[in-house]
Amino acid sequence: MDSKSYRLREFINPGDGRSLMVDASAGLALGPLAGLEHFAEAVKPILPLVDGVVASPGQARHLTGRTRAEAALLARADWTNALRGPDFVLPPETISHIPLLAPSDALDLGASALVLYFLLGHEEQIEAGCLRSTVQLALQGSQVGMPLVVDVQPVGPRVVLRGKAIELGVSYALEGGADGVAVPWPGRASLEMILKLSAGMPVWIKPTSLEAVESELAEALILGAAGLWLDERLFSQPDPLGVLETLRAQIHKIVSVG
Amino acid sequence: MYLGLQARLDRLFNRQGDGRAVCVAADHGYMSDVTPNVVNLRPITAAVIQGGVDGILLSPGQAMRLAPLFQGRDGPALILRADWMNMPRLGTSNVANAVPQRLLVHQKVVTAGQALDLGASAITIYLFLGYNDRVEATGIEVCARFVAECHQIGLPCIIEPLAYGGQVTGANSVEILTLGARMAVELGADALKIPYTGDVDTFRHLVDVSGVPVLVLGGARSDNERDALELFAEGLEAGASGCLMGRNVTKSPDPKRLVEQLCGIAHKGWSVERAMRTEEWAYLKLKAHPAKCTGCMLCVTACVASHDSGAYGNHLARLRIDPGVKAGQHKVMFCTLCKKCLDVCPTAALRWHPENGAVELLVDKCTACDKCVEICPTEVIVHSDAGIQIATGETLDWYPVVCDLCGGEPECATICPTGAIFVDERKELA
Repeated sequence: MDSKSYRLREFINPGDGRSLMVDASAGLALGPLAGLEHFAEAVKPILPLVDGVVASPGQARHLTGRTRAEAALLARADWTNALRGPDFVLPPETISHIPLLAPSDALDLGASALVLYFLLGHEEQIEAGCLRSTVQLALQGSQVGMPLVVDVQPVGPRVVLRGKAIELGVSYALEGGADGVAVPWPGRASLEMILKLSAGMPVWIKPTSLEAVESELAEALILGAAGLWLDERLFSQPDPLGVLETLRAQIHKIVSVG
Repeated sequence: MYLGLQARLDRLFNRQGDGRAVCVAADHGYMSDVTPNVVNLRPITAAVIQGGVDGILLSPGQAMRLAPLFQGRDGPALILRADWMNMPRLGTSNVANAVPQRLLVHQKVVTAGQALDLGASAITIYLFLGYNDRVEATGIEVCARFVAECHQIGLPCIIEPLAYGGQVTGANSVEILTLGARMAVELGADALKIPYTGDVDTFRHLVDVSGVPVLVLGGARSDNERDALELFAEGLEAGASGCLMGRNVTKSPDPKRLVEQLCGIAHKGWSVERAMRTEEWAYLKLKAHPAKCTGCMLCVTACVASHDSGAYGNHLARLRIDPGVKAGQHKVMFCTLCKKCLDVCPTAALRWHPENGAVELLVDKCTACDKCVEICPTEVIVHSDAGIQIATGETLDWYPVVCDLCGGEPECATICPTGAIFVDERKELA
């Protein structure tokens, strides 16, 4: 087994091939978010409950002292203003996408993987840049054993068929050399296509909302998805730990005895 | 690598052991037009170092030229401006602008390794928000590259988020600054240099969500130096770790004094009122030519005669002569306005007189604790012979007798027949 496979096993349970992931890196583009104002205080309590946490390069340095039983660190490799909506204090007029980290930087941070956005539906050069970054990070990552997870974001105004756009993003990620993909819930039919396409590459589902998460997750697990990829909205919940305990039990089929 | 990073952060923020830093930005010649503070950079830099500044921000060229000023254990930390931009030259509003610029340009100029070679303890770089998406994206890229370079070699990276451009309004500037602060930290900034948001509550929130040391910057120079002190004090109240103040200091008529005032607020817990008292410090200063002193003691006699200390005797004089063997060997000892008695007084019974700039005793606050008498390096604070009843009805057995400069016309200097004691400096209050 190569070093990349070892690192993948740090956040994908080798026993069931599944994991519960939380992406807490949105502050890089969106600033202080509800529940994440104090990053370390908000994230450290969830570490025993999840398999991986995605953090920005700056916040990754604050997640020190993690034990083997706690979540692996995944480093956000890029920045974009595409996540900002029209109501944001600086609504984007043109979309930018900037690579921030190389795989060797992620090694320095002690990360188990790099996470890269793949933006679909914006200007052509943005999509081209995402593809180039995917290929480069995958190639460089292979040399140092650093896995790459692609976070598919079909959020641009030119997305017409959302499910097909997600399939396209997964295909590009796969062709570019990604080791895993996180996709928005695409619907059952598209997910079946994506899982067939991915040919064993882990696929995490980003739920439509926290209300819909249990039903979407159940369906995704039956079809063969690797688990769940939650975002910053988790931290604005009244009881994030309770939410995670429920989802963790569902993903890893933990049954209480007695 | 983290050992080097922490050591350099400590050099900047922990020179006084309190986690705070008073820094001066003197990099304006690098980006704006030639102004007097740019022309006179060397004496200004020397003055702020004398004032006790903790760090100075300089351009690469000036860092090389002024390197000798930073030498020594007590020398300040060098912060290097590692990028360049043309913002101060944009538009036509600045009448001194020789070559107005049309577009904001922001670029990386030196590497972190080059900054380290120059002896920097940290670098500073801008992060512009609100101009347009391209400039913001470029800034993100530049900051990320600097952070990565800096952390490879253990050099702290201070990011300076600025809300500037057509997307910035009075209504959203605080929100944009807070966004910029958090983005900078997410990128890996070790500290922030950031404008004050205008009120304690919003700045406290900014500091709170940053989670790294925040240095408040001063912005355009105010004619009233009290404004700069108040801005700084409010920043500290909101949780800032210090300041990185530029034009308010470098364009000040007395940069050394302003740095002393800022250091007093940061490191000694002074209020703005307390810091402003140093304004009167230079109002009147006594000096001596010991070689001219004949030991006639007229100064001592005149001092006693011109004050009512409740008793009479040369031991009640507010100056003294340490006698030598012959004329020219006597030492004239008087109040040097060193302020040690003010600093040590536990009840603030000693203060600067608001009009004549001398030490004044507020006898009702005095507890006769003796600390001022003990600490006076020239031993010219003495015990009164008689006690005194204070406003509470209590009676003090004695009270300290301190030099009041005779309200502005010191008798000792007036009467000295040889000019051995004289008024060296007199500054009228504004």
